[in-house]
Amino acid sequence: MAEAKVPKILCVALLLFTSAAVAAEAGFAIHAADLMDQPFIDATKTGSVVANEHVEIVQRQGAWVRVAAGGRTGWLRNLNVRMGTATLPDPKGGTNTSFLTTGSSGRTVTTGVKGLDEENIKNATPNAAELSTLSSLGATPDEAKALAASDKLTENQIDFLKKGKVK
Amino acid sequence: MNRSNCSPLRAAVTAVTILACCVSTPAFAQFGAFGDLVGKAKSVGKVGESFRKISEQEEIKMGGDLAALILGAAPLSRDSRTQAYVNRLGRWLALHSDRPDLPWKFGVIDSPDFNAFSMPGGYVLITKGLLDRMRDEAELAGVLSHEISHVVLRHHISALQRVLRNEGLSGMQQYFHPVGGGLGGQFATALMNAGRTMYTQGLNEGDEYEADRMGVVIAARSGYSPFGLVGVLQTLSDKAADPAYALDVKTHPDPVSRIQQLDAAMGTKLDAVPGVVENTPSFIELRTPPKAPAGVKKRPRKGK
Repeated sequence: MAEAKVPKILCVALLLFTSAAVAAEAGFAIHAADLMDQPFIDATKTGSVVANEHVEIVQRQGAWVRVAAGGRTGWLRNLNVRMGTATLPDPKGGTNTSFLTTGSSGRTVTTGVKGLDEENIKNATPNAAELSTLSSLGATPDEAKALAASDKLTENQIDFLKKGKVK
Repeated sequence: MNRSNCSPLRAAVTAVTILACCVSTPAFAQFGAFGDLVGKAKSVGKVGESFRKISEQEEIKMGGDLAALILGAAPLSRDSRTQAYVNRLGRWLALHSDRPDLPWKFGVIDSPDFNAFSMPGGYVLITKGLLDRMRDEAELAGVLSHEISHVVLRHHISALQRVLRNEGLSGMQQYFHPVGGGLGGQFATALMNAGRTMYTQGLNEGDEYEADRMGVVIAARSGYSPFGLVGVLQTLSDKAADPAYALDVKTHPDPVSRIQQLDAAMGTKLDAVPGVVENTPSFIELRTPPKAPAGVKKRPRKGK
């Protein structure tokens, strides 16, 4: 179908003129799903992706991301996309030790420079002066509301979510 | 409980009465909590379950000391404009939680690494490295709301209780309500050690998923896209080998599992929340580099 034949150059042009467009990011579909022609649940299906299929994310729009996948394009659920490598980490494995030394930097995960790593915290002693500075910060509810009003933020009434069952 | 049966309380009140001239008034009020905790503890000698029942004021005291610990590892950024902005955003989000009235304090830590921490009583710290890596403001709102949720749900209390339950109860009482005596210092040392463990090992996995579920709702209630946090989790799903993310990766469940847990809870419920945004003018301005001061002219290029 026509959607699938959109040349790459046109995708790039789309990117430039869409406010929610992002630099294309490499990702993967978490599970098999339909590609839709619009970012809506009841939109028309334009194709599909399989689990762990490589996708290029070209646009983010709320619950949806627009992707290019093997010459097809369409919208996928945002919650069906991950980055990372082609193989999923073992969900039971905790921190994936096989990844520890494969980063582009070649360093292991515990050698952060000038950072805030595990050793920094293990060796930390409380800094009362910094706590005093932190305590002097803070915003009153009125200050927070004033900023939200000037930024025209919309408040919504939404119930908290119950735990769901992962398929 | 019937406080008149509590002899340690009675002895303490007597002692305070004798020394009334040199004891400040708030000390009297604090003895009520002392009596409650003595009565509720299964074992008078140990902290036991008493730690779960600490008051809001006690949470704030402990949270401040734990914040001082993290700030002992890396100090606050001196960028007062950013600190003020993060505090107004953070307070706005917290106003849409179940504990809007805590004395919320947000701080940006001067570290290039990616991490966020929270403490009992309303303290939230994020690194400058995290702030700089946000795709948009909705992602920042998602991170702050996740941390706010840990505080609201008292997840740190559960984590610390597991470690501190065998500490002496009187030490805990003297830590929270110092009236002389040195046992409070012993508890403070134990608390700092428990804090070092908690911030390097992480909270309970289920508590992380719960903070994700609550965080997306707090963001959406406050006018931000609930999918901001999803974007952060997607970023994290590619950072297992990046040293800047090492501690955050170590202390949280696998990001893909977090996305799947959120998917299961959210479904399409938050697809069409009216009016939510990815960015506000304030955030865009914050990210725009300041213009050169007036009066400083660029040197003209040679040949022109």
